[in-house]
Amino acid sequence: MGRRLVRGWLLVAIAVLYGASIPWYRDVDAPLRLLFGLPDWVAVALACYVGVAVLNAVAWLLTEVPDVETGADE
Amino acid sequence: MNPEVARGPLDFGTVGIVAVGLYLVALVVVAEIARRSRKDLSPGDHFLAGRELGTLVLFLTLYATAYSGNSLLGYPGRAYRSGFSFIMATGFMMAIVVVFHALVPKLRPAAMAGNYITPGDWLRDRFRGQRGARGLRLWVAGLMSVAMVNFLLAQLKAMGAVTSRVSGEAIPYWVGVVGLAALILFYETRGGMRAVSWTDAAQGILMVLGLAALFAWILDEGGGLAGITQAVAAVRPEAVAVPDAETRANWFSTIVLLGLASVVYPQAIQRIYAARDGRTLRRSMALMTFMPLVTTLVVTLIGIAAIGQVELLPGVESDEVLPEMLVRWGESGTVETVLGVTVFVAALAAIMSTADSCLLSLGSLLACDVLGGAASAEKTTRWGKIAAAVFLVAMIPLALSEEITLWRLIELKLELLIQCVPAFLLALHWSGLTARGALAGILIGLAWGVGLTLAGVPRIYGIHVGVIGLVWNVATAIAVSSLDRTGFPVERVSSDS
Repeated sequence: MGRRLVRGWLLVAIAVLYGASIPWYRDVDAPLRLLFGLPDWVAVALACYVGVAVLNAVAWLLTEVPDVETGADE
Repeated sequence: MNPEVARGPLDFGTVGIVAVGLYLVALVVVAEIARRSRKDLSPGDHFLAGRELGTLVLFLTLYATAYSGNSLLGYPGRAYRSGFSFIMATGFMMAIVVVFHALVPKLRPAAMAGNYITPGDWLRDRFRGQRGARGLRLWVAGLMSVAMVNFLLAQLKAMGAVTSRVSGEAIPYWVGVVGLAALILFYETRGGMRAVSWTDAAQGILMVLGLAALFAWILDEGGGLAGITQAVAAVRPEAVAVPDAETRANWFSTIVLLGLASVVYPQAIQRIYAARDGRTLRRSMALMTFMPLVTTLVVTLIGIAAIGQVELLPGVESDEVLPEMLVRWGESGTVETVLGVTVFVAALAAIMSTADSCLLSLGSLLACDVLGGAASAEKTTRWGKIAAAVFLVAMIPLALSEEITLWRLIELKLELLIQCVPAFLLALHWSGLTARGALAGILIGLAWGVGLTLAGVPRIYGIHVGVIGLVWNVATAIAVSSLDRTGFPVERVSSDS
């Protein structure tokens, strides 16, 4: 039960990171600002995707993949 | 584009021809070893390697299959045309591994219980005894076959382009397409999934190492990330600008399109079946989630860096931006020539690994789901091989035409495939879905997507028409299933397929 709950929250966090990766928050006419050598909105998107990778890997390690049908919801 | 290649101490074209030749010989040897390792002539052994793929081989074959000619040529081409907004590619490739959470934990035990070979086996099992079940299986198999043919076409085009470029145009585009198609057919027919997954494993390692070396060179040449960004901004300011509202909507739509549609690729589903056990699958998925950071991100940045360094036409020609950068790298010295050729061979390997997986899945889909399987397992395997060969030969004339960009081919394929998603994801999580509901959903979603595409409307406010079609699809599936008199909770019965 604990693993499932943690996994569920990880998937919610991944969805939030996906939402944040798209630069909805930036003005289209904003001047170019660099962050780690990239346009700042690109650096933010990449940081979100690194976060998704880490959380998703943990979520997979917490996932039960049974080889026989248990009848219960995963 | 300038077809001239380097003429340094080591000639790029000569080294390229030798390297490709050695690689192709290695493939033939692997196919023969795989053929001798087979246990029987059953579809399970040929199409799923006897269901015994371990973590490392499964991970590498998933990786090499997912990262194809599309990734290595189409993505840099699209990044070259779009600029930094195509950083979305890293996100949408990762989304595939996220969406697998909704598929793998439920499909895997059903597949083990039912001895599934193809995606259609799930549909046969899940909708057994329901009206419309056969129609649903045929429509899904048909859509998947069309998507596979499209995918195969993209790989054939990429094979021709890379072979021609690495040999300094000594091997013509058409010889690359025809010759490599024949070789794939040979080793896939001889060694089945075993040969495909073993070659995928070697190809995956080559690809990661080669791209890392190329990216290091580009960073060094371009003065680091900041130097590259400034150079791009100077040549094409819109490539570094914050995306407009339509591009942001398209960013979101592309993540949904790729994330959902890619999990129902037949070759991806068949690798879920082919894993040795659930733990192997779980670990492979955990590793796979990092691969967009070392592959998609790298090829995207290579395409973007090229904006400041080379001038290509905006259409089909820009799909050759990665080969163009490789040739430039090779021109800078002897060691670079060898490394550049290595990356070329890695790219060719990645493309061939996707093509062989497509061909293998296509054969199994046609033999088991469309033709309905033969009386004996041995005959089903033979039918699969013959059907795949016929399709591959039929694809070659289309691949010889170089009119459409690889990215557009990807979008078209996924907009068809995404309509199959409810028959898997919704059916796995909602027992009330009926065969007629799923089929009605597919037909409505398809009519919407195909109709608007043919009418010349590929997107509405940046959202792919296929993604909007999926919304219609799901709504129709739920409505028809609810109204359907046969909308009973379905008892799952083990398949005898």
